[in-house]
Amino acid sequence: MKSKTNQVIIIYILISMFVAIVSHKLLLQYISNEKLPFYTFTRDILFIFFTGIIFKLILSKNDNRNIATFEKIKNSNNEIKQSNEKYDIVAKATSDTIWDWKIEDDNFSWNKGIENIFGYKQEEVGENSTWWFDKIHPEDSIKMSIKLYSFIEQKTEKWQDQYRFRCSDNSYKYVLDRGFLLKDENGKAIRMIGAIQDITKQKEEEQRLKLLETVITQSKDSIIITEADSIDAKIPNIIYVNPAFSIMSGYESDEIIGKSPDLFNSPNSDVSELEKLLKAIKNKEECLIETISYTKNKDEYWVRLSMIPIYNADNELSHWISIQRDITEEKKQEKEKEQLIRELTQNNKDLKQFSYITSHNLRAPLSNLTGLLNLIEDITIEDQELKEILSGFNKSTHQLNDTINDLVKVIIIKDNPSIKKEAVLIKEIFENVFSQLNFQIELYKPIIKLNFEKVSIINTNKAYIESILLNLLTNSIKYKSENRKLKITITTEEIDDTAVLIFKDNGIGIDLARNKDKVFGLYQRFHNYPDSKGLGLYLVKSQVETMGGTIDIESEVNKGTTFTLTFKNKQ
Amino acid sequence: MMLDQILCIDDDPITLMLCKKVIAKSSFSNEIITSQNGEEALSYFNTIKYTNNKNKQIPQPQLIFLDLNMPVMGGWEFLDYFNSEEFSEFNTIKVVVLSSTIDPEDLEKSKQYPMVIDFLSKPISQSMLEYLKNKLK
Repeated sequence: MKSKTNQVIIIYILISMFVAIVSHKLLLQYISNEKLPFYTFTRDILFIFFTGIIFKLILSKNDNRNIATFEKIKNSNNEIKQSNEKYDIVAKATSDTIWDWKIEDDNFSWNKGIENIFGYKQEEVGENSTWWFDKIHPEDSIKMSIKLYSFIEQKTEKWQDQYRFRCSDNSYKYVLDRGFLLKDENGKAIRMIGAIQDITKQKEEEQRLKLLETVITQSKDSIIITEADSIDAKIPNIIYVNPAFSIMSGYESDEIIGKSPDLFNSPNSDVSELEKLLKAIKNKEECLIETISYTKNKDEYWVRLSMIPIYNADNELSHWISIQRDITEEKKQEKEKEQLIRELTQNNKDLKQFSYITSHNLRAPLSNLTGLLNLIEDITIEDQELKEILSGFNKSTHQLNDTINDLVKVIIIKDNPSIKKEAVLIKEIFENVFSQLNFQIELYKPIIKLNFEKVSIINTNKAYIESILLNLLTNSIKYKSENRKLKITITTEEIDDTAVLIFKDNGIGIDLARNKDKVFGLYQRFHNYPDSKGLGLYLVKSQVETMGGTIDIESEVNKGTTFTLTFKNKQ
Repeated sequence: MMLDQILCIDDDPITLMLCKKVIAKSSFSNEIITSQNGEEALSYFNTIKYTNNKNKQIPQPQLIFLDLNMPVMGGWEFLDYFNSEEFSEFNTIKVVVLSSTIDPEDLEKSKQYPMVIDFLSKPISQSMLEYLKNKLK
């Protein structure tokens, strides 16, 4: 521009000098002296006019050129401005962190993301690549820098990498970094621009899924995933099996994928169970079956198999999941148990039958004896010796009869695990029992104290509770102390949902230290009394337990005995 | 009230002897017929049936004392035949089971036969007969 101006001025000076000299010479030659001022003036006017026109030409031409240049500059300025604005908008809008690395000067700059995402304030951010490398997790940094330098040296086409980047609070974020190179005219890399994306969430989700996946891969239960739709009313085709399945069935996953689980069916499979399964698949319902399956080697095994329909977000059936467990051992044990129960039940039935037959066969001749003795009662016998013999006969027969009747009661109780219960007024039961023992009560006149204020009704079997109380009272009278008047105290109490009946006497007692575990046993006698059969307390305990109650004893020799009977009162 | 004829079915001769004596003592029945098992009893009823057909009346028992456990034919089998169409002309005859059994199932089973009016435990006694007299009134 300047050189152009100088050029114009020099040309102008030279031309005007030339014109001035030529016109001066011409004037001196042709014009007379008196007219000289007029011509000089005319010449100057012409000269000014002439150069003015030349100036106009030159300047206007220059002007045009300048305007064109200015327009060009203005346009390119606008373009730059727009481009800058676009860059700013993109840099702001993207969640990525953008970096710009001038490789030769090792000048590194970051956009706002370094603060927004990683928490570094503007003043904390270093201006070279060392700062960047420094923030990369030590375990990732070597692998990352190898890949990066191989890209800068243009040995690789593309560069993107995942690594952990340290935040200002020293936590690490998983990032995906992608970059491209800018090269000079010689093809040398001079600048690199990259975008860092925070993929911590995706990475954590990935790790969570990996963890969940271990449930499937490590599970001891077999897991199969099948397609949603079944073909030809078969079980839908398999798309996945876990390792446990391969162990159970003998099929490797690549042998079985794309096939229907139908091929596991063995001739001994439970047809009704399989129908249940197919029906559930047809109705898209969950189901659980147990059946016999085939392994690859045609070995049979018992399997418990669930089939669960899986629906996608649109509520359409997308897959089926089947969880299977080998229950061969379980089934074997179950079978053995069933066999054992069958045998025990049969044994029990046989024994029961045996006891009924035995008792019948004992009772039949015994009833004859009793009947015959009843007939003798009406006959007057003169012979004293015969009378004595018959009396002994009579006593022994009745004793045998009592024993057998008690045994019969035991058999019937043991055969009746559930017995009819009703609400029974305790007072009424005692009235019945006392009237049966009227003779003995009149004879010994015991002090009997009753207190049924707290519980007056218990839920029990009337015949049983009568038999129990009759036995306990008879025992108290039978085993009373000779040194003091017999005193019996009977009270009831309510504890939680149970009715408790406490039966206490001051008799001769039982040495529990010696006999604790035998007290309620069969044929256990603790005192040498002629009419004791060792059955009473066994019968009492059997009857209490048949009604769902419990009985406990406390006793001290020569002080007395206390029985505590507990009954469930609500049913 | 005294019955004209009763039938005792039992395999045990002592039991039958006892029955005869006690029944005679209580004046329960004029005549006592005995059978040793169900089959013998059925043939007795067949005889009655035959003779009746020949227009010659034989008195029939009004009550049967029946034991359950007997050889050849037990009480249950007897009841099954006796309850059938074949013996329908005797369906007014009442039966008392007289047994030493203690099996509660036997008691339940006896209720299925309409002619069984009671289930009593041996031995037969005068008080038992008094009770039956009242029941039959």
